[in-house]
Amino acid sequence: MINIQNLSKYYGAKHALNNVNIQFEKGKVYGIVGENGAGKTTLFRSIAGLEKYTGRIESDIDKFKNHLGFLQTIPFFFNKISGKEYIRLLCNARSVNPGDIDERNIFDLPLNQYASTYSTGMKKKLALTAILMQENQAFILDEPFNGVDIQSNIIIENIIHKLKSLGKIVIISSHIFSTLSDTCDEINMLKEGRLIRKVIKEDFKKLEAEMKAVSVGNKIEKLGLK
Amino acid sequence: MGEYFLLQFKMINRRMIEIGFNPIIGYCLLLIAFVGVSVYLFALSEFAPWIFILIALYFISKLSDRDRNDFLKSVFSGKTYLKLRVIENVIPAFPFLAFLAYQQSFPAFAILALMTVLMALFNLNSAINFTIPSPFYKKPFEFTVGWRNSFFLIFFAYFLTIMAIMANNFNLGAFALLLVFLVSLSYYSKPDDEYYVWIFNKSAQGFLWEKIKIAVIYSTMLTLPILITLGIFYFSQLLILLALMLVGFVYLIAIILAKYAAFPHQMNVPQGILLGSSFLFPPMLLAIIPFFYLQARRRLNDILI
Repeated sequence: MINIQNLSKYYGAKHALNNVNIQFEKGKVYGIVGENGAGKTTLFRSIAGLEKYTGRIESDIDKFKNHLGFLQTIPFFFNKISGKEYIRLLCNARSVNPGDIDERNIFDLPLNQYASTYSTGMKKKLALTAILMQENQAFILDEPFNGVDIQSNIIIENIIHKLKSLGKIVIISSHIFSTLSDTCDEINMLKEGRLIRKVIKEDFKKLEAEMKAVSVGNKIEKLGLK
Repeated sequence: MGEYFLLQFKMINRRMIEIGFNPIIGYCLLLIAFVGVSVYLFALSEFAPWIFILIALYFISKLSDRDRNDFLKSVFSGKTYLKLRVIENVIPAFPFLAFLAYQQSFPAFAILALMTVLMALFNLNSAINFTIPSPFYKKPFEFTVGWRNSFFLIFFAYFLTIMAIMANNFNLGAFALLLVFLVSLSYYSKPDDEYYVWIFNKSAQGFLWEKIKIAVIYSTMLTLPILITLGIFYFSQLLILLALMLVGFVYLIAIILAKYAAFPHQMNVPQGILLGSSFLFPPMLLAIIPFFYLQARRRLNDILI
């Protein structure tokens, strides 16, 4: 379980997170949605301990940070490190033996090539594969479907279902609503650093319709396309 | 085109300011360091002009990156692009050419001048699919990446060792040993992305110890061929060689601690001065190492449990 109480974060004068209160349970998948700049990544980085904040983030998992797999929006790769070495680095860091990496390469990545030569989607899949091999208890997946091909999207969705069945905590952000509605038990809406709404699975359709109405409205007409 | 070079100049100045240098002081220090190292190198070895060419070409090759050049080609037309690339190559080559002229090493001067111009015509693909095999694949990343960036310098050090034996010049062999350590030090010159520290399930102390352990083991692997060769041919000087190894390890430890003492930023000016001074007066390391260690622990405690 992860319990977040009164979480706030300022960047200078900007209130990036404003009194966020939320709980994440084991064996459940949580979606976080919000416009660009709503505070999703700041929330994730705070949970990971990569940001200083005010408020409390607690977990019943001992040394929580060491059992958290964090997939960043844009994973960073060194120039001359191969896919396999990247996985080995992440597993070494957590004192985990990854076993036969080639056998576990379910995305068929060219693991002996430099990771920096990978496409955006391949980089995402590599970073995801590495945190999965770390045997974490909780996962934060920031835009896991970004740039990933359809076949791999299906695999990622199935991975998330598997993680849920294994009792892991999974927190996802995505700009593609269908990926969240297919995987999440609960979706939380973040706006200007505040959690403004919690939606359970039964109401996802309603939420999607509302989001479309609010986001699109008559904006397309305003464009005056000819 | 003038606008482009002005922008490049501004970017270099900004980088100097970022690491805490007034650009004018930065350029002066660079010039002093360049002249100092060059004079030392030319006093040390008759192969200095060729080492000089290699170093200059290394810097120039950095400008030949394919992605970078694809961008330049998309912005500048054919002739302008070529002119720009030649000028761009001549700028970093200029101090090397000037020093070679001063040393009256005219063959080396001619080769470097020719290569400088020729390299404007070729782009190196940094995103090639060929992966250079690394003996350090088990514990990425510093030596894994560093080896791939600088393996030619390591082989050059091995070549110097053979030359030292053939010319019966122990000092050249000792220089080769130190060159490997200098190259190893460069593997720790850039700050880590915070994610690559955060992932570790170690305390700050454990993390630093792990980094130091890997550095010592892997630098030993790199220097061992030189140590053994020189040890066989200059057995009477074995103690000196072991002392040089020890010095290399100590500086390696110092730079690792200095790197994390500044984490997540680049090493700042006071830290750089402290480290630089220790090269002039090594006993300073006795104070510097514990100082950097405490700073590094404090910095890493923010991100590691």
